[in-house]
Amino acid sequence: MTAMPSRPGPRSGARDGKAGGRKKFFVRRRKVCKFCAEKLEYVDWKDVRLLQSFVPERGKILPRRISGTCALHQRKLQTAIKRARSIALLPYATD
Amino acid sequence: MRLYDIVMLVTPDLSEEETQKVAGEFRKILVDGGAEIVKEEPWGRRRLAFTIGRKREAHYHYFQVNAEPRLIAEAERRMKLSDQILRHLAVRADEELKRSAKSAARQRAKAIRRPPRPPAAPPAAAPEAETERRDA
Repeated sequence: MTAMPSRPGPRSGARDGKAGGRKKFFVRRRKVCKFCAEKLEYVDWKDVRLLQSFVPERGKILPRRISGTCALHQRKLQTAIKRARSIALLPYATD
Repeated sequence: MRLYDIVMLVTPDLSEEETQKVAGEFRKILVDGGAEIVKEEPWGRRRLAFTIGRKREAHYHYFQVNAEPRLIAEAERRMKLSDQILRHLAVRADEELKRSAKSAARQRAKAIRRPPRPPAAPPAAAPEAETERRDA
């Protein structure tokens, strides 16, 4: 969200075509925590397939601002990924 | 007694049978120490995500055991000493399971308290599905 001046100044008026309406450039899809949606309480560190979907190519853990995972499950996911890394199921880093 | 997950990585230099033998040794250590083996799965030869001691692959072997913490410490010490074991991991599994069972029960209680407005999922089916997930 960009901070818009509340007073219609000369510049802002020129930018939004319609009066008063805040223009959205694209509709953001609502992200839902995968674990909450599937009612998975426990994140299994042995399930490499599942974990891999939260580890992009570089090997880093996907931030929850991107994946939409809730705080609780992101925390569980984090420990699961770290455990999987320690026995070489997942990489620490790749280049 | 506590529930533990143990994974060990055996050198790829050994054949399948030799790996089984190494796994058998550790099974014996665990059982002799009074552990109850809940699950045992050889995951087979897998590619490592990174090299460990110039090895690119390893035989993975998984145990789930009910044991005393002291026995796990002893088993871990032996795994560390063994040349055939590249790496191992032993973590408690019961705390997570207990917590998830508790919250599942809480949710079920909530569903009962609430008058069934929409055609909600049958509460009896939920716990079954969850145990299945955990095994997978």
